[in-house]
Amino acid sequence: MQRPLVLTLVLALVMSLLGAAGAAAQKLESQPGYLPIDQLNLFPVDKLSVEVNIEGPLLRMIAAATRQDDPGFSSVMAGLKSIRLQAFPLKGADAGAVKGRIGGAVRWLDAHGWVSSVKVRDKDQETYIYLKQSGEKVEGLTLLSFSPGDEAVLINIVGNIDPAQLGRLGQKFDLPQLQKVPAQGGAKKPE
Amino acid sequence: MTPQNDPIRCEEALDLIEPYLDGELPPAEAARLRDHLEGCPACAAELALARRIQGSLRALPQPDCPPEVIARVVRAGRGEVVPFAAPAVSAGRRARAVRGRLAAAAAVAALAVGGGTLFLHLQQQREQEARPSQAEVAEATREARLALAYVGKVSRRAGLDVRDEVLQKRLVIPTARSLSRSLGDLQGPAGEPRKEL
Repeated sequence: MQRPLVLTLVLALVMSLLGAAGAAAQKLESQPGYLPIDQLNLFPVDKLSVEVNIEGPLLRMIAAATRQDDPGFSSVMAGLKSIRLQAFPLKGADAGAVKGRIGGAVRWLDAHGWVSSVKVRDKDQETYIYLKQSGEKVEGLTLLSFSPGDEAVLINIVGNIDPAQLGRLGQKFDLPQLQKVPAQGGAKKPE
Repeated sequence: MTPQNDPIRCEEALDLIEPYLDGELPPAEAARLRDHLEGCPACAAELALARRIQGSLRALPQPDCPPEVIARVVRAGRGEVVPFAAPAVSAGRRARAVRGRLAAAAAVAALAVGGGTLFLHLQQQREQEARPSQAEVAEATREARLALAYVGKVSRRAGLDVRDEVLQKRLVIPTARSLSRSLGDLQGPAGEPRKEL
């Protein structure tokens, strides 16, 4: 009688510890909306004009810090698991090669269950917005933009996403104003 | 007397040593064994060893056999069918067993709680160590807004492109055609300007 009881308890202990460890170790890479940016190798990392990498705990802290002043932004941040942005200046760069790599990334997205939401090709400008959906929920957003003479941009947002809300928030923020603030962390100031 | 000449051979003598020590041999048999042992130092040594072992065993405390077992053995010896039954356990022994199980369960539960607490503590410690400062949160907030601003910029650009495309296809080109037709009516065939209106 004693042995099964002890065995059950030991098993319960092991399972609970494994469960806790598994939950803690749930990696961003395993999220459906995660884009393996390193694997796609779109832009040379040392030549990025802007780079943003914000993940889980920091996003929760941003949500908490902006709850009073900007509840809309705060609620969006609370639902996200990561925001990654890479902007690569095309002035003086081999724009053709970059355009080719963006084409490769688009093919990768098409082949990996991402749904094309916006695809605009106008003259040399290209814009792609892809969504990773799970039922009704959007769990990933990838945005690729190629604008000759300006820059190429890659954005991957993972988490509980409302694209319309993201778009509205994005319209609200003044990009040139934000770019003027000297970068201290991951974001580099555009040249 | 050597063992070879003895009417009792060594193998037989060794078999007789135990019953001899237990006093179970008939006197004549015992006398024959003693004669053999007098002339056989090997068998005499075996007897001495057997004596020592017997003495040691007798010196051990004798365990009490529960009276129920003795009764059952006696009944079985009489040829009675004795059904198997779980040994009667005293209330004290049962209580000790229950206490043992509870102690084991408590130990495992304590281990589970302790392990879980330690894990959570280490997790919190790691998060505490990695907790960014206010300045870092402010900078990350700016970066997050910057990323969303990029989303806005690119989608706005895409929207404008779409709008331009739509305007081009649905308004500008048809209007131009219409204008051109109108102008064509005003101009001569093959696009030559009419000489007079």
